[in-house]
Formats: sequence, structure tokens, C-alpha cells
Amino acid sequence: MIVNAELYVKDLPGQLVGSLEPISAVDGNILGVVHNRERIVNHRICLNVTFDVEEEQLERLKGIWKSKDVIISKIGSACQTYTMDYLLIGDIDARYIEGLINRASTIADLDAVDVRYSSKAGDYSKRTGMLSVKTKSVEDLDKLDEFMDTECRKTGNTYVRGV
Amino acid sequence: MRVFICGFGTVGQGFCEVLDMRRQFMLDRYGEPVTVVGAMDSKSYVYKAEGLDPIGLVKRKQETGRVGDAQYEDSVAVLSGADYDILVEVSPTDVRTGGAGLRNITHALENGKDVITVNKGPLALKFQELISLARKNGCKFRFEGSVGGAMPIINLCHENLVGEKISSVRGIFNGTCNYILSKMDKGQPFEQALKEAQQMGYAETDPTNDIMGYDSACKVAILANSVFGRDVTFSDVRITGITSITEDAVSLAASRGMVIRLIGEVSETKLEVGPRLIPKGHPLSVSGTLNTAQILSDLAGPITVTGRGAGRLETASAILSDLISIMDERAKPR
Repeated sequence: MIVNAELYVKDLPGQLVGSLEPISAVDGNILGVVHNRERIVNHRICLNVTFDVEEEQLERLKGIWKSKDVIISKIGSACQTYTMDYLLIGDIDARYIEGLINRASTIADLDAVDVRYSSKAGDYSKRTGMLSVKTKSVEDLDKLDEFMDTECRKTGNTYVRGV
Repeated sequence: MRVFICGFGTVGQGFCEVLDMRRQFMLDRYGEPVTVVGAMDSKSYVYKAEGLDPIGLVKRKQETGRVGDAQYEDSVAVLSGADYDILVEVSPTDVRTGGAGLRNITHALENGKDVITVNKGPLALKFQELISLARKNGCKFRFEGSVGGAMPIINLCHENLVGEKISSVRGIFNGTCNYILSKMDKGQPFEQALKEAQQMGYAETDPTNDIMGYDSACKVAILANSVFGRDVTFSDVRITGITSITEDAVSLAASRGMVIRLIGEVSETKLEVGPRLIPKGHPLSVSGTLNTAQILSDLAGPITVTGRGAGRLETASAILSDLISIMDERAKPR
């Protein structure tokens, strides 16, 4: 799992490295570190760290930090999302798109969907809508691609997806 | 090295010009010239065992509309009566049956001749059969110019990237569609952009093969067979053309910093041609008649090549590179 933690460490040499080493000790992989020197509370400096770690190792890591006098002010999991844009061209309206999203959400785990329409086309058979979809996995994106392709071939609409 | 050229349109003539331009180079490299012993267009042919003047052939074709005096009904019968080492097959493509090109290539390979072709039809329909036939008879069979014209891709994957595990190849394989979509980026409607492409000579009078995605689908099938070792034909490709792309769609894409391009995509599992949303500045967002391809490999990462996908000398340059490869191979001590 990907975890984001806000830590407060003593403003002394070696404290930064000392607070990151435990992540490696539990086989975690550090993805990003921000050293917030301007945020000082009780002579401690704020440190934001994002890392990838096995879920079962997280409690052990918290224990190590506690033993090293590292204060954990916030900790939470952050999950990666995958975005794909789809342009739909054809006889489409808000109701059609809503139905499409509802059906898509039964086959793939959609994290967020943003819809835009073009209002210029006078010809109803050539309306355009754009869906920006976020999923939690690449597999969900693949399922969604397959779904969109099948649906559009069925209805005679054209779909244009991102790469 | 004696060459017989089947097909004497733009590409066949271009190849003759390139042979003339590189005459000294070939002489220096191999100690012997490349001799054109025969040429055939759709109606006539000429054959001379001692060799023909390539530029003379081009002039004759341009002046009379025919490459030779003799007429024929069966191109295979003409090839049967000729003595040559390499067949350069550049006759018009037929994606439904493979046409005369398929018959000519098959005949040459059956008779132990090396073959170079840019004819997509035979490759998109009977790739594995032709490769097997070439192997069985110890023939060299090369077709770099069939995908992307002057843009190197097949030989790049086979030779320079031979140690790589290639996971996908995707790209723009049709210059006509790219020209139309690039014009639509600037606000032109589809019909107008198509007309302009026809006036510029980029699109044919009947543009169906290009705009319906069939031409790109042939190339995708060739890449799937040659780069991924798959056994697919043109009809296995999932195709969507560009005819339904509207000005609205293009401007909606532009509002999100993207352009629409007709992309062919090949991998172990994918075999598709369709319009795709490409972020501006992405290597696949090129404009105009250019072709481009992005190869994704495990060690080298993404590699992008761009070049002219068609044209007289451009396609002939791909044939020349195949010819040199074959001559190098043949010159190696056994």
C-alpha cells in the first residue's frame, strides 16, 4: 500500500536519515520526501514522506518510529489512480452518458468521472461528449476500454480513447 | 545481382532512379553493379538478360505510359521466362485477395528467388505462408517499405533491437489520415480537409482504404506477424476509421490539450486501428503527412521513430536498404 505520513523530528543532525531508515528496515520503498523547514513545532521539524509498504508492516514501522522519538502527526493511505479520457461521438445525450457510466461502474471500479459536452453540433447524430475517468487499477482501465468499445459498436457511436 | 521489377508506378520508377543514383556506391561495395533485367507494369513488360538502363525505363514509362513493348496476360508466365536473382514486387496492392502481387511473390519464392516488396496486400493476408515458403527454399524475403515507407521499423525491431523484449508498437501509419486530422486541428471540417488532401495528391480519388483505416490495418497486421511472430491477417484487426470525427470532437479534445490521431496498436494481445486522443507534445502528436511509431521494449524503454510514410524516393530508399541487406547476406562466406 502507498502511505503518506507527516512526521515531526528533532532539529538535530542525523534525525532526517534516522526517521527514514525504519521505512527501509520494514522493506518499504520511499517514493517522496519533503523536508518542511519552515514548519517548526517545539524545536521539531515537519517531514512529509510517501512510501510503499506491505500493510502488515505498518504497525511495526510505527513502533520503530515511536522508539526513536519520531512523532507521527498524520498517517494515511494514498492510492494510485489511473486516468483515461474518452471522446464519444454520435447520438448521445446526458441520459445516455449517465446510463453508460452506471453500467461501466458495475464492471470496473471507477474512482471519479468527469463529463463534458460540446453544445455546438446542430446534428443530433454528431454530438460529442468527453469522459475523464479515474480507476484504481490498470485492469479496471482494460475492462472499461472493452466495455466502451462494445457499447459504441452496439449503438453505432464512435469512441476515441487516450493512449 | 539481377533484379526484376514487378510494378512500374511511382515506387517502381523511384527505385530505378535510386539505383541510378547509387550505382557507384553499389559498385564500390560489391564490385558489381545491380542490373535491372526486367520490368513489368499492369499491361506491358520488358526483359533483357544483359540488363536495361533504369533511367531509360523511367523515361519510356513517362513518355508512352508503358514500360515495355511486349504485352502479357499472366505475370507469372513472364517471370517464368526470365532469369533474375531478386524480385522487387511493387505492384498495386489488393487487400482482399493479394492480387497479382501475391502470385508474383509466391512464384519467385517457389523458384528460389529472393524477394523485396512494399506490397501490403500479400503480407497482410498470407504472411506466415510466404515466410515459410521463403525459409523452405532458402530465400531472403524483406519488406521494410511496406510499413511506414522510409521510416525504419521492421528491420529496426529485427536487427537493432534484436535482444529486446518488445511489448508494444503503436503509431501513425497513414500519412493521408494524419494530414486530414492535422488540418482539422486548425478548424477545417473533415470533408474540406479530405478534398485538400486529394488536391495535394496525398489522398486517392477513392480514399476509402485510407480514411476507413484499412491501409493502417494492413500495416498493423504486418507488424503483428513480423515483430511479434503472431499469425494474423488484415481481418483480425479491430478497425475504426476517421470518417466520424467531427469539428466538435477535435475542439473538445483541444480544450483538454489533446489532438486526435489515427493510431495503430500492436502487442501480444492488441491488434487495433482507431482514432485516439494524444496529448499535444506527445511523440505521437506529429502533424502533416509524417508517419511515426513508438516501440516499447524492456531494456531500451520507449523508442520513437518518425519519417515520411510514402513518396517516390522515400519508399525506394526502404527497398534499397533491403537490397543492400540481402546483398550483404549473400556476400557473407558460407
